[in-house]
Amino acid sequence: MTLTFTEEQEELRASVRRFLAEKSPSAAVRRWMESEEGHDPAVWAQMAGQLELPGLAFPEEYGGSGGGPVELGIVLAEMGRALVPSPFFATVALAGQALVVSGDDAAKARWLPGIADGSVTATLAVAGESGSWRLEDVAATAEQRDGRWLVTGTKMFVVDGATADLLLVVARTEEGPGLFAVAAGAAGMQRTGLETLDLTRRLARIDLDAVVGTRIGPGGDATGYLRTVLDLAVVALAAEQVGGTQACLDSAVEYAKTRVQFDRPIGSFQAIKHKCADVLLALEGARSAAYHAASVAADGTDELAVSAALAGSYCAEAYTHAAKENLQIHGGIGYTWEHDAHLYLKRAKSSEQLFGAPASHRARLADLVGI
Amino acid sequence: MRLRAFLEENHPGRPPGDAADRLAWQKAWLATVFDAGYAGPGWPSEYGGMNLDFARQVIYQEEYARARVPGPLGTGLGIAAPTIIEYGTAEQKERLLPPMLRGDSVWAQGYSEPGAGSDLQALRATARRDGDEYVVNGQKVWNSSADIADIIFTLVRTGTPQSRQRGISYLLVDARAPGVTVRPLRDLTGGTQFCEIFFDEVRVPVADRIGEENGGWPLVRTSLGHERAAGAMNQAARYRRVLDELVELAHRRGATADPLVRDRLADFEARVRILRYTGMRTIADIMAKGEPGPASSVSRLFIVTFEQDLHEFAMDLLGACGMLGRQDPHAVQRGRWVWGFLRTRASTIGAGTAEIQRNTIGEQVLGLPRDPAMPELDGSV
Repeated sequence: MTLTFTEEQEELRASVRRFLAEKSPSAAVRRWMESEEGHDPAVWAQMAGQLELPGLAFPEEYGGSGGGPVELGIVLAEMGRALVPSPFFATVALAGQALVVSGDDAAKARWLPGIADGSVTATLAVAGESGSWRLEDVAATAEQRDGRWLVTGTKMFVVDGATADLLLVVARTEEGPGLFAVAAGAAGMQRTGLETLDLTRRLARIDLDAVVGTRIGPGGDATGYLRTVLDLAVVALAAEQVGGTQACLDSAVEYAKTRVQFDRPIGSFQAIKHKCADVLLALEGARSAAYHAASVAADGTDELAVSAALAGSYCAEAYTHAAKENLQIHGGIGYTWEHDAHLYLKRAKSSEQLFGAPASHRARLADLVGI
Repeated sequence: MRLRAFLEENHPGRPPGDAADRLAWQKAWLATVFDAGYAGPGWPSEYGGMNLDFARQVIYQEEYARARVPGPLGTGLGIAAPTIIEYGTAEQKERLLPPMLRGDSVWAQGYSEPGAGSDLQALRATARRDGDEYVVNGQKVWNSSADIADIIFTLVRTGTPQSRQRGISYLLVDARAPGVTVRPLRDLTGGTQFCEIFFDEVRVPVADRIGEENGGWPLVRTSLGHERAAGAMNQAARYRRVLDELVELAHRRGATADPLVRDRLADFEARVRILRYTGMRTIADIMAKGEPGPASSVSRLFIVTFEQDLHEFAMDLLGACGMLGRQDPHAVQRGRWVWGFLRTRASTIGAGTAEIQRNTIGEQVLGLPRDPAMPELDGSV
């Protein structure tokens, strides 16, 4: 259990921060969010080529640099802070981690090196039209015919689903849920981009009609494995939410120091100061939850479910709280399209629902600890 | 592990019911701990302390909390002792510290006044110099343990009435000196956790002033190393227990089938764990970097809002029984949750109101500008 960072990890944070400050200022974020691809392929290539970020949390034998959820969390916090639209989250945090813990050497050898070098983007498709991330509610099916798995059904809210090269699809078999790899151009698949609240993260609907897939990870009932995959996704998202919360606090504090009304910086008024203090309170709590969860994920203990449920609920709400207060402290300018406050609010509110609402995480936490 | 064995073998058992007996019982325990060399984990050894490094202080605190043995008497150890270690003369340290640590002399704080609460710099109790003595007059309030105290450590005005923080001195008053009156103050729980103190021409030797005359203000916020961070883990452990007991109560009352109750309890579960993780982070930061990060500065505010919310929810769980006083035979668990609800009203008032804490966090951690109407803060959070 480590809740503080090594020098190497601090260097990683600093280098990602420098990179994003240069490549992903607000103007660039806004350009990409309105572009066709939704991100800048050149920046993605640099992330892979210069910083070797996609392989950060993969074993070295698969082209990675041997890090884990803690290093991934550091990068995601910076990306959340800069609000950078990037295939990184879906490719590495969702699909990449699912492959890493799959125990499936063939799948890892086949896809991880490509993800690590930036040539393959990927994602994970869990929820269906019901919008539920619970494995019990998975409606898509997979059946074996002539020795091949055929996946059928509709997936919704798939992060970067319209553009990812590789889709890892959760589908129900007769024995229980399992994970299936489906290639982007496969016959019988239709992908439709969704119009999203959060303009910096693309979501898609995927319709699958007997699409050929490759089974990944344990066969039979893979519920345990898929829960781990989802928990890792939640922990990764929590790290990103911490970064977003920090960005909102920084922005609010900066503005409160410089904006003058009644001949005083508004931050000298207690009404504003106390809001900022309360956001710091939420941020530090969220940090504790997210760091702990990443550390547990790295240790691979069975505490993962509890710490993911905890971080998933707490960090999501902390971010939304910070995003709302940031907007409020900015007053009128915070309500404009031109100011970034709304981009963070939309990311925060949207992230609350990705992988399950805070209340659903708390319901799971209650079950897990015997409440 | 030697500590664990010591605490188990020498555990003093249950406290006596009678207040005077209880005081003697607790003093006897503290003397036992001191004489065995297990008192004052972070204190220098020349004053009877253990001089443990920070990592061992944390272990000590956890073991001590785990053993459920009585803690220190009065508020001297946490507040006055670090001040004396930092600012006292060699003679003062030698004379004052060992008896305090052994429990032979109990110390109580006398800072707040009826007219000086959050604005402590406005205090009005005076001390005028008369040869080798000060003559002290005034009133103090919200003094816990003053009724059992031997020494009251207090702030008095030695400068002009307008001198604010530049005219304050730090004095140690013999609680039994002529002119000292200590009166229990009945609070809203119906009990008496606090006292009022009246000083009427009380004579205090100049040798019992800590620091310089008119130089008392900077001494107010001294703490010993990072003792407070180690102590924060105690709070986390304590609230872990309290929450487990609340969940147990909810189960017994059949309330945990209700999704709203489950949601609230899960939220407390998350927060009580975060308390512990934040404590661990602070400790890890201190060990790695020598300084606690900003997390430690907000942890007190985190705890006080948590304990208020927790007890308020407990009241909801009690339903109609929440209308009963503590003595009623129908009171649930002898009214502990009702009492907790009332007691935790003080959490956001005592030792700096939550509003003052937010000011301090805003200004000293986030660097927000001071309210021009407020005096400059110059302590730490």
